[in-house]
Amino acid sequence: MNILETKQLTKRFGGLVAVNEVSMHVEEGEIVGLIGPNGAGKTTLLNAIAGLNPPTSGRVFLAGKETTGLPPDRMCRLGLSRTFQIPNPFPKMTVLETVNCATIFGNRKGAVSDVAAHSRKMLAFVEFPMPADTVSEQLNTVQLKRLDLARALASKPRLLFLDEVASGLSEGELTDIMAVIRKIRESGVTILMVEHIMQLIMNLCDRLVCIQFGTKIAEGPTQEVARDPKVTEAYLGAEADQCTAE
Amino acid sequence: MSDRFIRWCRSAAGVTILLSILLAVIATIDRGPYILVNTAITGGMLALVAVGLALLLGVMNVASFVHGEYFMIGTLVAYYVFTPLQNFLNTNPSPLLAMVAPLIAILAAAVAGAAAGALTEIMVFAPMRRRSRENWVMNSFLLTVGLAVLLINGHLLIFGADFKGIVRYWAGAPVTIMDVFISRDRLFAFLLSIIVILAFWVFMKTTRTGRAIRAVSQDETGSLMVGINLSAILIFTMALGCSLAAVAGASLLFLYPSYPTVGLEALYMAWFIVILVGLGNIIGALTGGFMVALLKVLTVEYIGSGWDFVVPTALIILVLIFKPSGIFGSEVRGVLDQ
Amino acid sequence: MNAFDKLLRQLNLTPAGVLGLAVLAVLPFIPPFNQEYLIRWLIAAALIAAGAIAFDFTAGFINIVNFGFYAILGLGGYTSAILSVNVGLTPWIGVFIGAAAAGVLGFLTGLLTLRLRGIFAAVMAWFVGLALMGLATKMVWLTRGPLGLRTPRLFDTASNIPYYYLILLLMLVTYIICSRVVASKVGIAFKAIGQNMDAAKTSGINPTYYRIINFTLSCTLAGLLGGFYAHYYGILTPDIMHTSKTVEVLAVAYIGGRGSLWGGAAIAFPFILAMELVRSGLSNLPGLNLILYGLLLILVMIYYPGGFAKFFDAYIRHPKNRALNYFLNGASVRT
Ligand SMILES: Nc1ncnc2c1ncn2[C@@H]1O[C@H](COP(=O)(O)OP(=O)(O)OP(=O)(O)O)[C@@H](O)[C@H]1O
Ligand SMILES: [Mg+2]
Repeated sequence: MNILETKQLTKRFGGLVAVNEVSMHVEEGEIVGLIGPNGAGKTTLLNAIAGLNPPTSGRVFLAGKETTGLPPDRMCRLGLSRTFQIPNPFPKMTVLETVNCATIFGNRKGAVSDVAAHSRKMLAFVEFPMPADTVSEQLNTVQLKRLDLARALASKPRLLFLDEVASGLSEGELTDIMAVIRKIRESGVTILMVEHIMQLIMNLCDRLVCIQFGTKIAEGPTQEVARDPKVTEAYLGAEADQCTAE
Repeated sequence: MSDRFIRWCRSAAGVTILLSILLAVIATIDRGPYILVNTAITGGMLALVAVGLALLLGVMNVASFVHGEYFMIGTLVAYYVFTPLQNFLNTNPSPLLAMVAPLIAILAAAVAGAAAGALTEIMVFAPMRRRSRENWVMNSFLLTVGLAVLLINGHLLIFGADFKGIVRYWAGAPVTIMDVFISRDRLFAFLLSIIVILAFWVFMKTTRTGRAIRAVSQDETGSLMVGINLSAILIFTMALGCSLAAVAGASLLFLYPSYPTVGLEALYMAWFIVILVGLGNIIGALTGGFMVALLKVLTVEYIGSGWDFVVPTALIILVLIFKPSGIFGSEVRGVLDQ
Repeated sequence: MNAFDKLLRQLNLTPAGVLGLAVLAVLPFIPPFNQEYLIRWLIAAALIAAGAIAFDFTAGFINIVNFGFYAILGLGGYTSAILSVNVGLTPWIGVFIGAAAAGVLGFLTGLLTLRLRGIFAAVMAWFVGLALMGLATKMVWLTRGPLGLRTPRLFDTASNIPYYYLILLLMLVTYIICSRVVASKVGIAFKAIGQNMDAAKTSGINPTYYRIINFTLSCTLAGLLGGFYAHYYGILTPDIMHTSKTVEVLAVAYIGGRGSLWGGAAIAFPFILAMELVRSGLSNLPGLNLILYGLLLILVMIYYPGGFAKFFDAYIRHPKNRALNYFLNGASVRT
């Protein structure tokens, strides 16, 4: 079954078409990678689906039900969670309080009996390295990403969006995060992940969707898409541009 | 071309601008051309204050509550420069000095406003920026609240609470245009606002500094990378914005005598404009100045003075319910950049 | 945990707080504070303290400065005053109707500012306040405009002492209501939307709902204080709605420490007394007290934006000495 489906989803910012008629789907249980050069519109696509920046046109279906333009808190309670590319959850709260927020408000009333215990479980699940009473603003970026992941999992999502969870990680940390992502999938959560790191994509993703300038240029099994000349050109072209710019 | 014009007319900006023009025409036919004259004078000066405010918002990310106080400084300096000159003139008449005395006063106000602005950036915002940029918008806003309290009461303490005004800048009979008598002061204020607006426009579009200011307002980090001296730009912007407000204050001294809270009305009118047209939208602020002035003039004309508090506010609230990003939204933003 | 500690915990008070309140309660009998003019100062301070709590409930948690705070407070006052003058309703009921009116306006302002972020919501609330003050000035037939509306007083006595205890009680009630809400789940949602709107939304928090709750409650409390103001001073002019009044509570709330509730209330007393002292002692230097106000606000914003409460939490709150620790924090939660 398709847990997520978009039809001709479009997002405009004034004159700029950041996402252009993207139709795609994610099946239950999959890990799908959303790839594309910098500024391709990946984050914008996630925002349009999750309701943070509602789409200009097009439709979104979550588990078969239309959810186009629903606000993010509704989407959260319908089972869609996301992490942020630049995570900065509540800076003045402690780690535990941060996760508590999602535990309390992301689940139906009474669905979690012991809030703190659930939140601690989530922190342990993502192998969060610091004490739970650390104030968020004292964490570094890598730790913030882990915290944001725990926060996203706390609302017991069926579908999870990961926006570059692995960027800036060392080799060892990459292996760690891959294990965590596999664990999340095994717990029954479907994942749509935006990622630039090839190693991660090739190891984790069942399928890939590639967009460039807001338009979908390829979709299919990981190996196929990775070998698609349009995709390599999109990446190489972008790199060539960067080289000339520098 | 005509296609684009029709599309513009249908946009929120187009509708409001056309509606304003229509209203102005109807009111002028109904009550007489002085409506137009009053709108033009107040509008030009409001635009100057609002542009300064929009500049601070766009470039420095400061939502200023203290902007009216630079208007106040303008009135104060103009008063203390112009009054002695006039006293001197009373005993030694000199047509030349009589001609330039108002200009000297307004120029002095402009310089004082610029100096006050630059000082504010150096002594207050820069230290704050160095300490922490966390929660910057809110903290800098509260800082300007403190600054406003300080300046208003500084005026009260040093210069007292009485009205420090002048009867007029220019002697001589009023000028007649379209059968309306316009005092020379009003005419001059209008001309000055147009000149300053044009000069400002040309400055922003053609000079290196103007372009740098626009660059910073769009992307601070990016502009650092292309080698713009950020701290100098910030000081300059603040000086420019405050100087515009001071010029407005000085030119309107014959209407608004200087007293501690004279800037308050200028401040909230400027905020009206900035919120109405969309935040940090500099061109919008220019147009908005005239629209809000018209609104004010019409309210006073048809409903009564004192209601110019209530009616524009109610209208702005309505506008924002339907267009939270202001009537110009993103359509006009960045016109300077084309 | 004994019964006393339990009670304190329920009221979100510490032994130090109770001592502070006790001192305030006996103050009007201790020279020099037993003089009427000093009691009037204390009343003014307690009013600001209570206002700062209600103000901080919005500013310190959902991070929106309600710049129309005193206008809404004034609406509560005017409603009650007009009801008692024109309809003959007793102020003891009128103040609650005034509070309800202020609450309704708070609700509407909350709705209005919904789609605006932070500072722009503040400016919008300010406009609402300006419009309200304009109305109070112009609707002379109802409010008598700047001439002032004479209002019946709450107590039939020339003494200020009953008013003092009433406002202390109001302050305490305001604190207890605000702090209990803030300590509940609703309070967690407030903090979340105040600190990161996007993360809050994606965590399942509906910002609209909580923002409106916050505004409504804060404004209702403001309206209640407005009722006290109206029937204590005995005369009401549109000046009560002036922006400078809001600036006063704002300064106290932020210097006291945003997001603490108690910080503003704690510093309000020494602060307002000192201000009044400067004002009356140096009456040949008008505005000096407010200059100090502005200066202090500027310095706090640049060098210590957390205010007194943050300083207290960082350096004073957790002494080694166990008795002192109990005094400052109450019994620790070991159930
Ligand atoms: N709120 C916004 N307003 C205007 N333009 C925006 C906004 N958000 C994104 N954009 C623009 O939309 C385009 C797509 O941005 P987006 O962040 O979705 O790219 P991305 O694929 O996530 O890139 P990256 O890999 O760098 O994260 C960019 O050109 C960006 O400048
Ligand atoms: Mg992105």
